[in-house]
Amino acid sequence: MRYGGDNRSRLLLVTLIVTSLFLITLDMRGVQLISSLRQGTQSVLGPFQRVASTAFTPIGNFFSDVAHLGRTRTQLTSLVDQNAKLRRSLIDLKGTDAQIKQLKSILNLAGTGGYKIVSAKVISQGTSLSFSQSITIDIGANAHITRDMTVICGDGLVGVVKEVYASTSLVLLESDPAFRIGVRIAGSQEIGILSGQGTDRAMLQLLDSQSSVKRGDVLVARGSEGGKPFVPGVPVGVVTSVPNSAGLVSQLAEVKFFTHLHALSVVAVVLRAPVIDPRDALVPAKPTPTPIPTVTIFVTPTPFASGVPSATPSNSAATKN
Amino acid sequence: MYTRRGSYTALIFLFVYAVEFMVVDQVHLPLGGFSLFLIFVLSWSALSSPEIGAIGGFFGGFLLDLAPSSNGPMGQWALILSGVGFGIAFLRYGDDSLRGSPLSLVVFVAGAVVISICVYVLLNSLFGLEVGNMRQLLRSIGGNGLWTLAISPFVLPVASRLHRAIYETREFQ
Repeated sequence: MRYGGDNRSRLLLVTLIVTSLFLITLDMRGVQLISSLRQGTQSVLGPFQRVASTAFTPIGNFFSDVAHLGRTRTQLTSLVDQNAKLRRSLIDLKGTDAQIKQLKSILNLAGTGGYKIVSAKVISQGTSLSFSQSITIDIGANAHITRDMTVICGDGLVGVVKEVYASTSLVLLESDPAFRIGVRIAGSQEIGILSGQGTDRAMLQLLDSQSSVKRGDVLVARGSEGGKPFVPGVPVGVVTSVPNSAGLVSQLAEVKFFTHLHALSVVAVVLRAPVIDPRDALVPAKPTPTPIPTVTIFVTPTPFASGVPSATPSNSAATKN
Repeated sequence: MYTRRGSYTALIFLFVYAVEFMVVDQVHLPLGGFSLFLIFVLSWSALSSPEIGAIGGFFGGFLLDLAPSSNGPMGQWALILSGVGFGIAFLRYGDDSLRGSPLSLVVFVAGAVVISICVYVLLNSLFGLEVGNMRQLLRSIGGNGLWTLAISPFVLPVASRLHRAIYETREFQ
């Protein structure tokens, strides 16, 4: 049988409802006491909540992760993708930075030498199957490139344009065994022929049997008629060793190229030779040694007292007493 | 005797209230989660006589009104829970077919929770407070109901034992 209730319970219910409505009215009229009650509760609960938050946050996070497993996985996948993109961007940026650095040095060199250049990107380093040292650049006939143009980079000579295609060109590197260039020793102006050896070294043969070469001599391109295939003044390399050439017709020397041919990304093709030969203006400055400071330590002998080493004279006096 | 029972009830409510705000609120569950305190108060009311149910509901509602996260005016939850508490106790107390049926009690409590929240939202909109969009509301209310169905079987035995220990008038089996 259903409980029907009585007047007392109904009266109680009405009283509670009226009390609630009274509280609502007071609160909505902005009575200070009501808002203070809520603030008081917050003040009491606040510290406990902070402690509980510290203690239960890992558990809460665990449940949250479990509850949002699908969403978390999606977020994770998205973040992994973003991370990969950012990593690629970073690598691209590093590559771009290196290219900018190379381009700047090329512009410096070309500006000093007075060469008219067009920059190009190395798009291929050649293959070992071709048995020649070459690179492919991303400009060709479309950029008015023709055969036998000098190719340089910030450090100096790179090679010479061997083949020209519509939008690309093949450059024979100075390290190729078939590569020959007329060079001049900066300073003494002795001339010779430099031949590639297939490595980062080349062999110099001086034309005059009476002239001499020494270790550290810098070689620059002598230049060709009409600036083709070589414009004058481009730094080529430095003499690293001079073998004993007694009995030979001419003096020989081993030369190390200035250019790091395995790390080329941006090069420039010289379109026009300078009006005035830059002579030795492009020879790189010799590195100056950094002075190492000498550290001098002064040692003062400590006085001894009663045969026992002592740190200070006052201590030794105390020992005597 | 009434004072002693009232004090015990108040202490138990305060304890559950503290657990609600210090522990349960730290866990972010899907579909809006559940309110342990609301489930406990309504379970308590369902186990009580209509008078006790109404008073318990009023006190529980008053505590909810004091909660810092409550955005309604003071007395709103007290008004709702005193009415719902009275109603759920009235329905269960007078119907012999429902007494002693745990499943019906669970469904009753879940229904009472849903009704309470619906009334709360309705009053909020009447008071001109922001209630959010309908989709979010339905999701939250439905989620609360489902969570209550899942949690109530664990809360009810505890509430029943405590209630029996204090009042020894009704028993949940």
